[in-house]
Amino acid sequence: MSELVRLTDITKVYQGGVTGALNGVSLAIEEGEFTAIMGPSGSGKSTLLNLVAGLDRPSSGSVTVAGSDLGRLSETGLARFRRDRIGFVFQFFHLLPNLTALENVLIPARLKSRVSAESAGRALMSRLGIGEVADRYPSRLSGGQQQRVAVARALINQPTLLLADEPTGALDTKSGDQVMALFAELHQEGQTIVLVTHDPKLATRYAARVISMLDGRVIDDARLETTERKPADVIRVRSEEPSR
Amino acid sequence: MTAILVKALADLRRRRVQAAVIFLTVLLAMATGTMALTLMSQTRDPYQAAFEAQKGAHLQVEFKASTDPQLLATTPAIIGASAAGGPYPATSLQFKHGGQSFYVQTFGRDSAGGDVEVLNVTAGHWPRANDEIVLTRSFAELNNVSIGDTIKVVSVPAQSTLKVVGEVVDIDEGSADLSSQHAWVLKGAVPALTTPGLSTYLMDYRFPADPTSSQLQGYVDRLRASLPPGSITASINYLLIRSIFNITNQIITGVLSAFSVFALAATIAIMATLVTGIVISAFREIGIMKAVGFTPAGVIGVFALQVIIPALAACLIGIPAGTILSQPLLANSSHALGLPYMPSFSLGLDLLLLVGGLVVVSLAATLPALRAGLLKPITAITIATAPRGRSGGWLRRQAARLRLPQPIVLGIGDAFARPLRAALTLVTVLLGVATVVVAIGLPRSFQLINNSETGAGNYQVVINRSNALPDAEVMRILNAQPETARVVALDGENIAVPGISDPVNSRIFRGDSSKLAYMVIAGRWFSGPGEVLAPAGFLHDTHLKIGDTFTGSLDGQALQLRVVGEVYDISNLGHELFMDYATLPPNTPNSDPSTYWVTLRPGSDLNAYIQRVAGTQPDLLDVHPNNTSLIGPVKIIDSVLLVLAVVLFLIGVGGIFNTLLLNTRERIQDTATLKAVGMSPRQVIVMVAASAGLLALVAGLMAMPVGLYLHHLLNDVVSTSTGNDTPPSVYDVFNLFELMAIPLLGVAVAIVASLLPGRWAARTNVIEVLHAE
Ligand SMILES: Nc1ncnc2c1ncn2[C@@H]1O[C@H](COP(=O)(O)OP(=O)(O)OP(=O)(O)O)[C@@H](O)[C@H]1O
Ligand SMILES: [Mg+2]
Repeated sequence: MSELVRLTDITKVYQGGVTGALNGVSLAIEEGEFTAIMGPSGSGKSTLLNLVAGLDRPSSGSVTVAGSDLGRLSETGLARFRRDRIGFVFQFFHLLPNLTALENVLIPARLKSRVSAESAGRALMSRLGIGEVADRYPSRLSGGQQQRVAVARALINQPTLLLADEPTGALDTKSGDQVMALFAELHQEGQTIVLVTHDPKLATRYAARVISMLDGRVIDDARLETTERKPADVIRVRSEEPSR
Repeated sequence: MTAILVKALADLRRRRVQAAVIFLTVLLAMATGTMALTLMSQTRDPYQAAFEAQKGAHLQVEFKASTDPQLLATTPAIIGASAAGGPYPATSLQFKHGGQSFYVQTFGRDSAGGDVEVLNVTAGHWPRANDEIVLTRSFAELNNVSIGDTIKVVSVPAQSTLKVVGEVVDIDEGSADLSSQHAWVLKGAVPALTTPGLSTYLMDYRFPADPTSSQLQGYVDRLRASLPPGSITASINYLLIRSIFNITNQIITGVLSAFSVFALAATIAIMATLVTGIVISAFREIGIMKAVGFTPAGVIGVFALQVIIPALAACLIGIPAGTILSQPLLANSSHALGLPYMPSFSLGLDLLLLVGGLVVVSLAATLPALRAGLLKPITAITIATAPRGRSGGWLRRQAARLRLPQPIVLGIGDAFARPLRAALTLVTVLLGVATVVVAIGLPRSFQLINNSETGAGNYQVVINRSNALPDAEVMRILNAQPETARVVALDGENIAVPGISDPVNSRIFRGDSSKLAYMVIAGRWFSGPGEVLAPAGFLHDTHLKIGDTFTGSLDGQALQLRVVGEVYDISNLGHELFMDYATLPPNTPNSDPSTYWVTLRPGSDLNAYIQRVAGTQPDLLDVHPNNTSLIGPVKIIDSVLLVLAVVLFLIGVGGIFNTLLLNTRERIQDTATLKAVGMSPRQVIVMVAASAGLLALVAGLMAMPVGLYLHHLLNDVVSTSTGNDTPPSVYDVFNLFELMAIPLLGVAVAIVASLLPGRWAARTNVIEVLHAE
């Protein structure tokens, strides 16, 4: 397995932020890994994920993904990087309301090339169990369906890296489980996935590696040999959380 | 109330750009509207005032020199005139000044005062000696003649010089750029200046009340009946002079008011769009406002005030600005009337405009804000923004089918996502483009008319002969020049026509006049004696149509005339006749042509020709290049149109800018998402530009027929007010390329206007926007 992501000594201070959102984070992610990032609210999980996605730039340190140093890319370069390399799934789906499900799925493909990706899009949607709703507008889909449309949109360009920030956070348990099962399946097929969650059960059930964060630092990085959980470690981390 | 104002002002600060758009568009609309109304209300009065002050003549009649002055003295009583001036002996005087030759009808008159036609001496003094002359100020200004200048009289064999000692304003004639002019000498100076056979008497009449057109006609008919046949050679009444005087302002005010209505409509559309847009994007805020205790009226107030405050500021500046901007045109009018220029405006009118402007603005702002007032707080808070329609899907699919790039597909889909907003935007852009079409077309139409009236490209040299040089001699000189290709000689006569009070000015052509560029609207050019053409005004007033015959009278002799065509000519507001020289009875006195239009062979040297011909008879021939430049009033109208086009164009740009701003602000979430999934900043800009481009394209395509129709309509208005029908060729001034290029140019401008909102959208900070969930 080769290295896909490398973060070196990353700090991130938001404008107007009193303390850093990230304070010296270094880590590497291998190709094919299913990594979960855990931590309490405000610990810097989303910030970290956004940096890997090329949605934001660190205050210091470097981010290298699939051999390209994101710090050297222009805004346009970053956009192209996101389009070609990254699939991003948000907590709140972020589908364009005036586009049909299929049109939403096809956006990254159409941004990339004018060759029609419609059949590929429909095939992908069928695989994700949303083939029948392809021509509906998001407002007529359930939350679970909407999130699967978002996943399809993230996958349409066959990204090197699938990033998901609390993808089940806005879903009921059943829909959440379906989405997570989908992720597991994708991982089986070799997709590299980084998942942000603060649900330890989810993290340990699906991910082979759990990175725990607190106050902008990585406080634990546990590689689980199997997907069989070793909950004690994780729960220990949670119990250490200082009361805020 | 303070809470509402405080909130409105705070929001205003937040929406500075939109406030600026409102301010500018309202400013432009109010300024043009004020100009239109100020001109309309102020122009009629000065003429009336000057007419009273100078005891203007309701009727001026010219009599043959052989008429007994004793008899003329009895004419006021015959027609019941309350005051009369004259008989003034008159003659046509030709003189040279600064190398140019001029004709003025010169009257013998011993003082500027009197009971009728008081001449307002604006500079210098009235003649005190027989070698002194006064000219109209209009003539002096147009031709650069100054007091103290010496002019050389060339119309009589015994050449003499006269000294210009004064300039006067005469309320009883039009301005020099539209009409021929009068001049005055002492009565005793007339005999020596008179060309035998070219002298007349002038009588001025004033009536107790302003007579109507038909009353005036009755007076002339009565005079004609009580004097020997052929005694009346010409007459003119105050109605015609007033129309000539007012026509420019009339057209300008007409054009200005029509387009001010447009400007106002476009502005209202922008305001309504903006308020609706603000309300839509502020649903959650509205909910919170209501939750903290704003009443529905208060909420409406907050939203309406955001637009009313900049609009009020714009009114407060725009109305005085419009009043000030109308002053040069008004000053122009009072100058022409010899009135001292006084800033003329009406405070009442301006206040009325202010109130009217505020009412319109308030309605435009309040009606769309009602929605905010009526919103239920809970709905408002939970849905945050008004749901957006799904429209645009069809357009998007068509665009996708064409394999257009995704940003363009998305932009096109967005253009009509809010149908009401899109419709209002279309209105603003449509009005702008339509006005541009008119501003391009109308000057071209005027140019065509001007070309036909001035013979541009048709004949290059104009020659006038002194009466001391016989016609045959002039023709011999001209025919001896190798460059002479064609000579059309002109004579002017006044022919009395039943149904028209004043004898009709007639242009009598000798030579191949069919080759002249006069625009024949219906029928054909005359091809033999007795055939005449006339403009619509003449045909209308005489109830004649093509094919009809009538009997005119010239110098007491009957002329059998047949109308064979309708021609375009603005002189005397369409009271003109065109005919061949052969139509005149052979014994008509002084009917030898004295003007010659010469067409040169291609490649001839114009200046060499002029110098050579002038050199043959330096004193008796006036030779100059044909002056084909536009007359002053047309230039003014052209520039007013240009200003209006710029104004409406800017308002249109403001409209599209405003809509794009609302669209991009509203869609910031979508833009952030698109950027997150890989849309580059350039692609965001392209997306916004595509939206703008489509709106402008649709508006532009709809604007073309509207613009062409308006162009048609305004041509008709101008033609009608000058006593004509519009020649078909005058409508037809656009080529196919332009008809396509104008909307495309609109698209280009809209795309440029979209760059700013596009750049703002492109700079959307994905993290911040998506984090703000
Ligand atoms: N755009 C921003 N501007 C300013 N501060 C921010 C911004 N985004 C995040 N922060 C701050 O940075 C810190 C880390 O936030 P981040 O969103 O990465 O945490 P998180 O672990 O994802 O939390 P959560 O579980 O609530 O999503 C927090 O203190 C947060 O308030
Ligand atoms: Mg987060």
